[in-house]
Amino acid sequence: MKKTDIGVVGFMYGVCVLFLVMTLRLKKAAQTYPLFIITLLALLTTLYVYNMVKDAKRLGVTSGLEEVFGETLPGQFAPVMAMIVGYLLAMYYIGFYPSTLIFMVACLWFLKVPKWQMAASTLAVVCLVYAAFAMFLGVKLPVGLLFK
Amino acid sequence: MLETLALMGGGFVNALSPTNLFAMAAGTAIGIVIGCLPGLSAAMGVALLLPMTFSMEASTGLIVLGAIYCGAIFGGSISAILIHTPGTPASAATAIEGYQMTLQGRAGKALGVSCFSSFCGGLLSCISLYFFAPLLAQLAMKFGSPEYFWLSIFGLTIIAGVSSKSMIKGLMSGALGLLISTIGMDPMEGVKRFMFGQSSLYEGINVTCALIGLFSMSQAMILAEKKIRQRAKAAKFQDKIGVTGAEIKRLTPTILRSWIIGNLIGILPGAGASIACFMGYNSARQFSKHKEEFGHGSMEGVAGSEAANNAVTGGSLIPMLTLGIPGESVTAVLMGGLIIQGLQPGPELFTKYAPMTYTFFAGFVLVQFFMLGIGILGCRGFAQISRLSDAILIPSVAVLCVVGSYAIHKNFVDVVIMMIFGVLGYFFRKFDLNPAAVVLALILGPLGEKGLRRSLMLSGGNPAILFSTPICWVLMVMCIFGILSPVFMARMEKKTVENAGGDIPGETGDDPVRTSD
Repeated sequence: MKKTDIGVVGFMYGVCVLFLVMTLRLKKAAQTYPLFIITLLALLTTLYVYNMVKDAKRLGVTSGLEEVFGETLPGQFAPVMAMIVGYLLAMYYIGFYPSTLIFMVACLWFLKVPKWQMAASTLAVVCLVYAAFAMFLGVKLPVGLLFK
Repeated sequence: MLETLALMGGGFVNALSPTNLFAMAAGTAIGIVIGCLPGLSAAMGVALLLPMTFSMEASTGLIVLGAIYCGAIFGGSISAILIHTPGTPASAATAIEGYQMTLQGRAGKALGVSCFSSFCGGLLSCISLYFFAPLLAQLAMKFGSPEYFWLSIFGLTIIAGVSSKSMIKGLMSGALGLLISTIGMDPMEGVKRFMFGQSSLYEGINVTCALIGLFSMSQAMILAEKKIRQRAKAAKFQDKIGVTGAEIKRLTPTILRSWIIGNLIGILPGAGASIACFMGYNSARQFSKHKEEFGHGSMEGVAGSEAANNAVTGGSLIPMLTLGIPGESVTAVLMGGLIIQGLQPGPELFTKYAPMTYTFFAGFVLVQFFMLGIGILGCRGFAQISRLSDAILIPSVAVLCVVGSYAIHKNFVDVVIMMIFGVLGYFFRKFDLNPAAVVLALILGPLGEKGLRRSLMLSGGNPAILFSTPICWVLMVMCIFGILSPVFMARMEKKTVENAGGDIPGETGDDPVRTSD
């Protein structure tokens, strides 16, 4: 048994409780199907807990963290995720094209991509989006609150 | 019969329009690029490019997605042969013999054999698509609400089959997906369910947003957390890409065997191209007159693996198009593309929408020719693309995910939903849960709910209606098969991989369905 699976089980039970609370607020006839699914998920999770306990007795308990996050580089992952979130926020305020340019350059620079590749890939992505979405699909990409 | 032939002919006439031909060429080239990049998978590529098909005609959109699918499965072999890194898990067996041929200075020959075998496997798989799909669709016409309920249950049992490590975790993922599929308006009572005050969730979670998040954004996250590695330089080759008449004669029995294997594997739910390639490779070795060449660069090994994995493509479309049951992740994404076009998989595709369906079939046949041409002419170029660094892929994929999800309804809510599913997909993959199961449940959940509730309404609440017809019983037996088949599949896969040498080289495009590959 891996300790990390406790998190999985906790998440599943948490979802069950959240949906149960919301289901009980619905009118009676609309409750049946969601209740059936919630029960199913709770039963399967309980079955998994049973297997976990069985495994713990048979094979012992391991952390599992090394297996799950052994290859993770927090110093790389966290900034990239922050940049993605920042990109979404920037897009909302300054629009798609400026935010995409900034995001691409910042992310590629952080990941130590050579300058010419940085320029080429940023240009390629922006051109691709413009051609495929703006021109071909006619999607009006966000211009941003500041430029509205 | 005559009507079917007319539809087939009409399909080819429609498919040969300049727009469709361009769609085939572009889709195939994009698919090959995605396939040969070891960081990306076929499902991810199809999900990422799904929004681009919105404004296209249904048949053209499906042709593009089908072309990406076929191209990606073949594309995986390029990096497998040249840099010993399969672009997708479906080419893992190709790397065994293909790279040996490269080391011997026969990379061009290996690529030629791979391209020719992929073409044959894909083309032959279209035969079963033309033959079996309408037959199964006729059967599906007899389905009522109880049958549709059991059909969706059968589809959900497949979830267990597509689970990588733990069947219970696969089922848990599916149940969670079912719960998520209840978000939105209740189809019978007209009550708002679990909408968190968001009116944009009125019609439920947008499947495309979920697909892009679960398959593509989560993949960008997976790539972002790992050390960026410099990929090996693709081997330069001077020999000619192509196969001679004598070689074709020698490879024909292997290709035919692999076609049958791949096709059957494709039709079977829960199994995919990754298992077919090893089975094809194994049968090639078993029946070869040149067994001594295996492990030292055998052409038959490359042909066996590549013909089998491409034969899966046509077969896997049959249950999806006729019954609305996607057996694995790529067909689940393709089904998402069908739904986006306002089409419901099932018998209607072969009656009301038959011209569109046959145009897609014809397009699927023609895509194989494009794959052969583009594959042979562009091998050297694709070989260089396969070295593209993950550092470039991470922000590029993230941008395309954001734009793709925004393009659906042109609002930020969809982008936020995509991001939520991206994070969910990332943790699902980290903890051996199954994102594909969530997708299948999102697609099949509403079908099952309507089937169950309509049946109970018709019978005045008596559940006996669910067991009232022979088809219901057949579907119940299939559900049991769906639950048990993963056990047999896992044994079969273990055995075939062991027989093939047991070594799957390098990193592969991370397939969210069968991560163990």
